[in-house]
Parts: sequence; structure tokens; C-alpha cells
Amino acid sequence: MLRPPIRRKGDAFVVRLGDDENELLSRLLAELRALLTTDDPAAVALTGRLFPAAFPDDPEREAEYQRLMRDELVASRLASIDTVEALLGDELSSGDGRLDEDQLTALMRSINSLRLVLGTMLGIRGDDPDEGDEGDEGDAPDEVDPRLVGSPEHHLYGYLSWLLEHAVRALSGR
Amino acid sequence: MSPARCHPPDVTRRADQRGGRHNGAVPPTLSPTEVVDPDVDAGTDAARPWVVIVWNDPINLMSYVTYVLQKLFGYSLEKATELMLDVHHKGRAVVASGSREQAEMHVFRLHEHGLWATMEHDE
Repeated sequence: MLRPPIRRKGDAFVVRLGDDENELLSRLLAELRALLTTDDPAAVALTGRLFPAAFPDDPEREAEYQRLMRDELVASRLASIDTVEALLGDELSSGDGRLDEDQLTALMRSINSLRLVLGTMLGIRGDDPDEGDEGDEGDAPDEVDPRLVGSPEHHLYGYLSWLLEHAVRALSGR
Repeated sequence: MSPARCHPPDVTRRADQRGGRHNGAVPPTLSPTEVVDPDVDAGTDAARPWVVIVWNDPINLMSYVTYVLQKLFGYSLEKATELMLDVHHKGRAVVASGSREQAEMHVFRLHEHGLWATMEHDE
């Protein structure tokens, strides 16, 4: 029914965003950049999923990992945002834009970063890993904070999931 | 994405829970001099490789996790799907193993892609 927003064409990827989508992504990415470059505790809480612990049981090693890698992780995300912002102002500014694999990967990673922040805002959490037995199927639907079901942020999250799914499909040739 | 509108997430608590589940299984910390190349002598404690674990999380799409595992580790679609389903159903899966340096690089790249990855000594 819907024309896929992202399609593989030969070695390239054709991406078509509406003007409103372009504007929306630009605005969200500017906000994400701000969140990544501040040490405001409210922002740090929102970006927690972007910086998981590597050694949750070993505070000493974890501190070292964060010391060595956190800045790298921030830099890597900012580089992806830079790439996508440049695309939004050029190749993706109107009609069909042609992206190479690295560019689409930057778009995919940036969209996923936005989803991780929005999902955090929405209070999305799976089943509690400490509850139930090891054989627990864990198939309960992931729950959004009931007060936020149907909120604008929830719809936005759905839109980004749709876009991400198409980016993944195109990149994996499915 | 105004922080004021959100409910503070409880990422820290979840991370603690994740870790806490395996407290009993974590081997004693090795001093750096005891960490040797895992290829040298697979029989000794210090030679045990590090394993990289991806944990289930409620936000990353299943298709995305599968693709990232293919891309980072060169797994086939079948193998990556199997690992992703392990993560989804069992809560975790070992996706790679190797020296501490190799494992750390894998964890970093998984974190770059927003996956919940940790590393620990193989049991």
C-alpha cells in the first residue's frame, strides 16, 4: 500500500522524505545533539540507553570503560548526526535522494538513537528480568507508560520505528 | 523531546538488575598480569576468553538487532536471527568471544549501535 520510504537501487539507496518529515528529523536531531553535549542530569537520564554498562558487575572496570569509551561513543553519534543533517539539507531536501551505504547507516543509527531516547521518555520497559523463571518466554508486549499511550511522543516513536524498519530492510536486502 | 515532559527513566535500576542476576557467577577479578592470550593455554583460569553478551531490551527492533549482528560479526541471516531470538526469548545471548581487547571493541561497536552489550569472563 504505502510506497517504501527507502529502497535499494543497485549499489545505492533511494530515500524519499516529505518536507514535513525532513523538518521533523532536522529538529529531532538538533535536540539529540543538544542532549549528547550537555551534562544536565535530566538530559543524562534521557540518554542512558545510549551508554550501557559494559561491566555491570565490576565498578572498577566499568569506570575505566566509561572513561575510555564514553567520549568515543558521543563522537561517533555526533558524526552520524552531522552526516544526516548534511543529507537533510542536500540529497534528502526534496524528491528522491540517493544515499550510499555509509550514509544510510548513519541515518539508521541516528533514527535508532532517537528511538532509544523517545522510548526512555515513554517509559517503555519489557518484562522484568528478575521476575519469573529462566524459561520465561518474555513475550508480553513492551509496555509504554499507560499515561503516554497515544501521546504525540508515542506516535512519533511509531513513525521512527517505521522509518527504521525500512532502513534495515533496505540495508539487509530484504 | 523536552526533558521536562518525560518521566525519568529507571535505566540504572535495570542495569543493576541485569548485573545482579549474575552476581554469583562472576569469577574473581584477575590482575592485568594474569590476563594472557586465550589462545595460549585454554586449560588455565587466566586463559578463559571473554564473552560478549547482548541483553534483551524492549526498544530495539528485532530486525534491527539481527541486522547489527550480521553487520558487526559477519553472521549469516540464519545465525544472526537465531542469536536475536535467543536474546528475545532467553533474555541474553553470547554473540562473540575473544581476548579482552577484542571483546571490548565488540562491546563498543554494539553500544555504538545502541544495543545492550556487556562482557564477562567465560565460565
